[in-house]
Amino acid sequence: MLRKTIAVIRREFVERVRTKAFIIGTVLGPIFFGAMAIIPGLILSRGSVGQRVVVVDGTANAFGERIASVLAAAKMGDAPNGKPLYAPVRVSAAGRVQDVVDSLVPRTGLSKKSDESLDGLLIVDEGSVTTGKLRYYGKNVGSMEDMRQLRSSLTPLMISERLRSVGVDPAVAMRAAAPIDLDTRKVAEGKLTAESGASTFLLAYAMGIILYMALVLYGTQVMTSVIEEKSNRIVEVLVSSLTPFQMMLGKVVGVGMVSLLQLGIWAGAFLLLQKNQAKILGMFGVASAGGGIASILPTMDPWLVVVFLGFFVLGFLFYSSVYAAIGSMCNTVQEAQQLQTPVMVMTIAGWFSAFALLRDPTSSFAKVASLIPPLAPFVVPVRFSIARIPLPELLLYVATMIIGLLLIVWVTARVYRVGILMYGKRASFKDIFRWVRAA
Amino acid sequence: MAETVIAVEGVTKRFAGHTAVRALTLTVPKGGIFGLLGPNGAGKSTTIRMIMNIIMPDEGRISLFGTSAGGRSLSERIGFLPEERGLYKKMKVLDQLIFFAETKGLSRGAGRSKALHWLSRLDLDDWTNHKVEDLSKGMQQKVQFIGTLLHDPELVILDEPFSGLDPVNSQVMRDVVVEVARGGRTVLFSTHIMEHAEQMCDRIAIIAHGAKVVDGALADIKREFGGRHIAITFSSNSDAARPVLEDQHLIKRVNDRGATAEIELAAGASPDALLRALVGCDVGISRFEVAEASLQSIFIAKVGADGARPTAITGGN
Repeated sequence: MLRKTIAVIRREFVERVRTKAFIIGTVLGPIFFGAMAIIPGLILSRGSVGQRVVVVDGTANAFGERIASVLAAAKMGDAPNGKPLYAPVRVSAAGRVQDVVDSLVPRTGLSKKSDESLDGLLIVDEGSVTTGKLRYYGKNVGSMEDMRQLRSSLTPLMISERLRSVGVDPAVAMRAAAPIDLDTRKVAEGKLTAESGASTFLLAYAMGIILYMALVLYGTQVMTSVIEEKSNRIVEVLVSSLTPFQMMLGKVVGVGMVSLLQLGIWAGAFLLLQKNQAKILGMFGVASAGGGIASILPTMDPWLVVVFLGFFVLGFLFYSSVYAAIGSMCNTVQEAQQLQTPVMVMTIAGWFSAFALLRDPTSSFAKVASLIPPLAPFVVPVRFSIARIPLPELLLYVATMIIGLLLIVWVTARVYRVGILMYGKRASFKDIFRWVRAA
Repeated sequence: MAETVIAVEGVTKRFAGHTAVRALTLTVPKGGIFGLLGPNGAGKSTTIRMIMNIIMPDEGRISLFGTSAGGRSLSERIGFLPEERGLYKKMKVLDQLIFFAETKGLSRGAGRSKALHWLSRLDLDDWTNHKVEDLSKGMQQKVQFIGTLLHDPELVILDEPFSGLDPVNSQVMRDVVVEVARGGRTVLFSTHIMEHAEQMCDRIAIIAHGAKVVDGALADIKREFGGRHIAITFSSNSDAARPVLEDQHLIKRVNDRGATAEIELAAGASPDALLRALVGCDVGISRFEVAEASLQSIFIAKVGADGARPTAITGGN
């Protein structure tokens, strides 16, 4: 008997993994993650790179040289491996600044690309340090981003120059001006947790969206494939050698394994992308924005992973059995759309209740929601991520979830058994009630 | 009487508004081909689906191989071709057949070799790795047919197996069915094409409006129904036959033309008895022919124009 169920699981799994939809979806996922990481960076730092700037140095001291070296060191987004923003050249022009400028302006901002063409001239005078006045003649003066970048590249140098001129060690001053590093940690139930406020939210958000997506995407896959088997009349062949329960179990587990595989590939690709984030961003000339989900993943409690996966599996079985039963009641996908609305509402309610308890994970609302099987898969992992739930309490939630699951499987299997062989009009709720009661 | 494979006892099935099968009793003995005949909407498919335990009878009992365990638990011993063909359109032909074999309890390896054997047998070698949706309807039907026979079942139940096939493929499939039955297995198939039943069946049952009209060995039915007319040509000594031809126990009516005679047998008399009597009185006979009624004419006579008329709601077929 088990062998037949395994055959159904294998068929469901292999045929699904082979589809173009699966392959495209699996490949597009990481590309989507990658784009999500790169595009904001691209937008943030749309400024130009490798600008050919000539530092026209009208000073007798080394200030112009220092400016040139600061510019040469400026990287995209201040990342150590970002692309250099400037390709500066210093021209010593003490006493003949105007002549040099006059000779260089005709070579600046040429529309045709040539090695001779310059992007701008930065003119440093003897009085620049005291007045804070620098002149920049360039083709990109209209770019606020470029100008902001240029200003912020030079500001620290200017400050330290001024400090030096009044006899203060710039290093001391920089140390004194260091910003406050505020380390935030969540305290729940009198215990200090590992996560910061932002990462708690991010983690809960990530878990919620993964669960919601998996339930809706793969749950509806279970549903449509039941409808497809029904309309293809394959059920008549299958039902003569398989029990409806084997068919339903095989389908739910098979699709569930596909979902785990796809999510696993996505998670792996995501971690890989995050790990090499700087490298990949560098390839696109974009600075790493830093932070993100990767920064909290290493701190993720292994127990949380267990709880999340456990409730993910239980929740998936719960919801996809319901989806299978809905599929069995309908003859077309259109019919099923209406019937699945209550299920969608439940998943959305689960997601929202998970967020509602972020504020107070030990409220009685959170505890009650943890005991309701359709909500528990969302609520319990999120609660656990904020503050570890005591083991007896956690076991209670697992037990109610399993009882709820068995109950729903019992009901849905009965609906499924009758539903798959019913053609014609869609079953009414009265009919379904009768099917469940009938032995 | 041979061992009974299928026993349907007093089975009734009602659908909303009409009775699809009415107090039906059928006995299918082991071995041979059993034809379930009837006009469209007579309840053939409903009967078969009840035999397969896909739907439950409202009244009566069905047992297979002497147990009432139901078709599914005996599925290893039964091959079933439903009227509505069902295949996974996106699956490759071979994968599909291996899956069907697995659901019948075969290992993947055994399923593969059986499937390949049958595919080459039915000239589908070239289509092994094609998706089912690429196949013509006739080829799909062959694939489904293979799925039914893969696990070498003792009992093969086919619902309208030859519908929608061209004459060549129809003949191929009929040959296979005959061969399956020859191997000591039992075949039950439903059809409304009398010629198929006439060529192939050992036993038949005709149902109309969900009720049985006639059943039994095809030869008996024919004899009982059509074998009442006999044409004789005498080669010599025809006068000696007169007393026999006037025997009221044997002969109901006689059209005596001297050298030839056309006879309608009396109720209860058999052609054998007549022939024995004639031989006993020492006449020379050059022709003794039992004019058989075709199954077609039996069907029409038994079911009648009324029986073939579809009822208002033709569910279950």
